[in-house]
Amino acid sequence: MDRNWVVLGVSLMLWGLLFIWILRVERRVRDVEKR
Amino acid sequence: MIWRILIFLWIATTMVVALLGAPLVPVLQETTRVLYFHIPSAWVTVLALGWSMINSVLYLIRRDMRNDDHAAAAAELGLVFCIVATVTGSIWAKSMWGSWWNWDPRETSIFFVLLIYGAYLALRGSIEGEEKRARLSAVYSIVAFVAVPPLIFVVPRIYSTLHPDPIINGSGKIDMDPMIRWCFFSMLLGFTFLFTWLQSLRVRVSRLERRLAT
Repeated sequence: MDRNWVVLGVSLMLWGLLFIWILRVERRVRDVEKR
Repeated sequence: MIWRILIFLWIATTMVVALLGAPLVPVLQETTRVLYFHIPSAWVTVLALGWSMINSVLYLIRRDMRNDDHAAAAAELGLVFCIVATVTGSIWAKSMWGSWWNWDPRETSIFFVLLIYGAYLALRGSIEGEEKRARLSAVYSIVAFVAVPPLIFVVPRIYSTLHPDPIINGSGKIDMDPMIRWCFFSMLLGFTFLFTWLQSLRVRVSRLERRLAT
């Protein structure tokens, strides 16, 4: 397999996971702020 | 929510274009890919530490805890991005120089930056009392940032290094393929947006911690 696709796949996966994690943290912060 | 998705798409699109569309730099070959993560991380490190210093100065002038929140959050994030820059640089060094760590002037400089800001966080964690912690941390942050420009920009230029030339070369020009340049600056912008998002989130957490503590 072309190495560019491997690097791209890993990069997008890590970035996607990080993005979802930040969104989850932000949602929890918002919940606590509302209390 | 829209701007968050825009940040995601911005960085993801740049990754796709950079890794599939942009050519490789002749000298760097396969390691060119590291460029799109390593330099933006180093850029955000300097930006974050500078923001921490500015807010530390503002804290000492205004004695407003919001400035202390910003200073602490920026120092933490600066340290995180500095670690990312160090790790990606180390991966690149292994590929180009055959060793993960060589005590090259660039590596030594970034190691000192990590130590200095690791000590900043240790200092914050060891002081009881909000006002005292904010005041001493602000002074430390200002003194610490004085060391950052010499360590990052001056030392590697004084001593001979194997590290590739800076992006802006000696004649003040950016010598890059147009596609690489577009991807590179797009990633710089994407990382900057990511930093501003994380910074605002960390500041909100600090305010919540204070609210819950009182």
